[in-house]
Amino acid sequence: MTDLNEQFGHIYDQYIEKIYRFVYLKVNSQEIAEDITSKVFLKGWESFRIQNSEFRIQNEGAFLYQIARNAVIDHYREKGRTKVVSTEVSTQLAQPGKDLQEKAIINADFAVVKSAIQGLKKDYQDIIIWHYVDDMPIAEIAKTLNKPAGTIRVMLHRGLKDLKKLIKES
Amino acid sequence: MLTEKELISKLQTLKDIKPRQDWVYLLKSEILNPKSETNPKFSKFEFLISSFFSQKSLAYSFATLLLIMVGVFGFAQYTMPGDLLFSVKKATEQSQAVLSGQTSLKQDMANLNNRINDLAQVTKEGRTANIPSAINEVRQSASKVAESLKAATTKDPQSTRELASEVQKIKQLQTLADLTGTPEIKSLNDALAVLVQNEITDLEKTTLTEVQQTILKDVKDLYDKEDYGEALEKILTINN
Repeated sequence: MTDLNEQFGHIYDQYIEKIYRFVYLKVNSQEIAEDITSKVFLKGWESFRIQNSEFRIQNEGAFLYQIARNAVIDHYREKGRTKVVSTEVSTQLAQPGKDLQEKAIINADFAVVKSAIQGLKKDYQDIIIWHYVDDMPIAEIAKTLNKPAGTIRVMLHRGLKDLKKLIKES
Repeated sequence: MLTEKELISKLQTLKDIKPRQDWVYLLKSEILNPKSETNPKFSKFEFLISSFFSQKSLAYSFATLLLIMVGVFGFAQYTMPGDLLFSVKKATEQSQAVLSGQTSLKQDMANLNNRINDLAQVTKEGRTANIPSAINEVRQSASKVAESLKAATTKDPQSTRELASEVQKIKQLQTLADLTGTPEIKSLNDALAVLVQNEITDLEKTTLTEVQQTILKDVKDLYDKEDYGEALEKILTINN
């Protein structure tokens, strides 16, 4: 393995679950999520390889998330796909040691939350997933979106409010 | 009413979403494995399959099925008469012969050669359970050669040479396995007798050197002794 392969291998290990989860929460099925995530990392690897003094990736995570956001947009744009919430929940969640009833409740909760997230404005979706699911600090979100941290806090607050409303409606 | 804390707690359950581990490993090796870069044929093949089947899982299933089929065909090439996959080996040989555009006689002779080699091998390796099947296969192939020989309208020196060689092989194998007196081998001998007789008639009409005349005399003796394989080989030395 070359140095570049090894470096990207570490980035891959660090972000594969996060990017997959980020994509999965925005699309309708495991297959589509896998397909889009594959494209994200392939594109990421291509860019990573051609880095030089003029083009340098500063923040790999932000870079991959940006590719993922664009890939999801392209996915919905391609054939005018509509957002439909997937019912294939059980295969996605790792729930070791939980009984059937508990799993059923969690899956129902999960479907409601996923559906509500998909009903949010795109910017709210992204920051809620990043902050509450992927534990990304507000400062890093601000850097990724190139917005002040204060704006991100306000957006998070409004996003949660909208999400609560959407869950209540469902 | 859901509190903000409860909502955040629900959001955090989404951390349990994980990709399939086999997919994670496969994707990583596809991206970082230099082999896939130097093997564009494989990438194109995979791309074609993936495009044909909209779902990747189906594409992988199809690729797996193809691999299994290639494995079965590959493994079948090492089977012997009496083995489970021997019919696959025969079918493959026949397909190859058809694709290479061989004549019926050449195909049958190639088959006979393969079956004789199989019989020699099972006998050499002491695979007693396979010997009856191997003998049966040789008999069937010999019978087909006899039929093709009768139906052949043109004489091809190469085929005659090969045929002489096959007959000699059968003769050698008779010491290992009892093939004498079987109707199929007798039928092959009869067809050879006609072939040798025709060759003798042709040679008698030709002007021959003294040496060639001596060989022709030997051929006639061998014909009388019903040693048609040896006779054919002698005829070839005259023709050369």
